[in-house]
Parts: sequence; C-alpha cells; structure tokens
Amino acid sequence: MKILHAVCILPDAVRLDGVQLPVSGQGTELLAALYREHMKDYPKFFKMDVLSKLGVIATELLVEGEADRFTPREDRAVLLFSKSGPLSDDRNYAKTITGDDYFPSPALFVYTLANIVTGEIAIRNKYEGDTTAYGLTEFDAGQFVATVRDAFEDRITTSAVCGWADCVDADHFEAVLFLVAQGAATGRDFSAETVNQIKQA
Amino acid sequence: MKELIEELKLKIIEALNLEGMTPEQIDDNAPLFGDGLGLDSIDVLELIVLIEKNYGIRLTSPAEGRQVFQSVAVMADYVAKNRKK
Repeated sequence: MKILHAVCILPDAVRLDGVQLPVSGQGTELLAALYREHMKDYPKFFKMDVLSKLGVIATELLVEGEADRFTPREDRAVLLFSKSGPLSDDRNYAKTITGDDYFPSPALFVYTLANIVTGEIAIRNKYEGDTTAYGLTEFDAGQFVATVRDAFEDRITTSAVCGWADCVDADHFEAVLFLVAQGAATGRDFSAETVNQIKQA
Repeated sequence: MKELIEELKLKIIEALNLEGMTPEQIDDNAPLFGDGLGLDSIDVLELIVLIEKNYGIRLTSPAEGRQVFQSVAVMADYVAKNRKK
C-alpha cells in the first residue's frame, strides 16, 4: 500500500507533499482562503463546522488533480481519526440551549455527531465506500496504519482518504491526511514510520 | 414592507451563512428552496428558529415552514401579519 499524496494543515500553515503552500489568514480564515483558491463552487462549505471544513478542504488538496473527479465510486473509503471529535460543536450548540435565550440551532446540532466530517467528504466527492470516524486519546501511527489496512480487507476498498483531523476550536486544529492506494506503483510506503515522519515534519 | 424584506434578507444571510451573498442578490419573489437560493431541510429548521427568535412567531412543523418560506416576500407578509415582537 502506498501514500499517493499527503497534506498537513495547521491554523497558520499548509504543506502538500512536503511543499509549503502560500497561505493567507489564520484559523478559519485560512480554511476559507484555501476554499477560494481550490474549490470556489461549493457554498455549502460555509455552512459546515470547523472540523468538516478542515477535512473537506484537506481532501480537496489531496484529490484535486485526479481524473474522473465526482464520478460515484464505492472503492474509496474515508477513515478519519481524532481526539477532540465534535466537542467544539457540542460547546457551541450548548450555548444555544443555555439560559433564557433558548433557541436550539439545528444547523449547529447536525455537526455534533463525530462522523459528519467523513460524510461531508464523501458527499462532496461522491465516495460511496466505507466512511468511519475513530476516536483516539492521542495520535498513534501504528494503530492508525493497522486500522486503515484492516479496512482494505473488505475486497471493495482499493484506496482511502485517511488520517488525523482534530479540531479543538476555530483557532486550534490539525489535519494530517493521506491518499493511500493498494497496488500503486509509485509513492511512499504506507507505514507507521512514514506517517510519523510526515506528521512531524 | 420593503424595510422588513431587507431586514429579513440580512438575517437569512447571517443565519444560514450564505457566504458572498448580498441582499440585492436575493429576489423578493424567487423561491428560497430548490432552484432559488438552494436551501435544504436543515435551513428550513434554522429559518423556523429565526422567526421565533426575532419575531416571536412559533411554527409547529417544517411543513408549515415550507409554506411560509416560499419566498422572502411571502415570509415578510407572514411575519408582518403574525409578529408578536
């Protein structure tokens, strides 16, 4: 199994396949700037929570050069790992149901589920394969690689968008996502060692 | 009524995060759903919250919301006739 592309997004920096990309703004402004540069035509992006924006724009950077974008496919999985899950959404939603100003926001509520980010990526890209969001107390490259490899045992999955996508709040987040594929001739080996090298670069 | 329509347009843009959209770009009579602004079922719920929070109007079901939210003009007319604040 090979890593075809790898992307790292922090609140103030973006690295794609080891190359630093020029960015403007910080935090959610940086994510919006990436949207304007790389997506443009998906206004639903602005309705998403920060975690989904992070996952969707990171995926866009991974796959934007692929042929046959948006052709529905079952052979690509979306497997994301995080520590915080949707906790920042839980806090934002709680503010709408606290005190006398009790107006629960449906738009905030829908993002309080941990797996919405994987669904948003699948919907945007028409991926109809496995989508799973895992919770880890800390990033563990060995566990991550083993779990992704297991997902390929279903005889359907041949590639996956996978990685770490963690959002503490609008100013503190990290995405380290990979496009991995089975049987690819080129690319770096999908191993815990390589994943750690890319994440810590 | 014109003032209320403009006010509603601004509140809709803010509540539904319609990035890059200005009040002038929303036709008073264009459908809010489907071919119009392309809003979805979650947006209907958010609009129900919007008119309760701002005008004290309580809609009891999303189906009722679909009637009220046909267009900004229909919405403004309903708000003007039923507002409690």
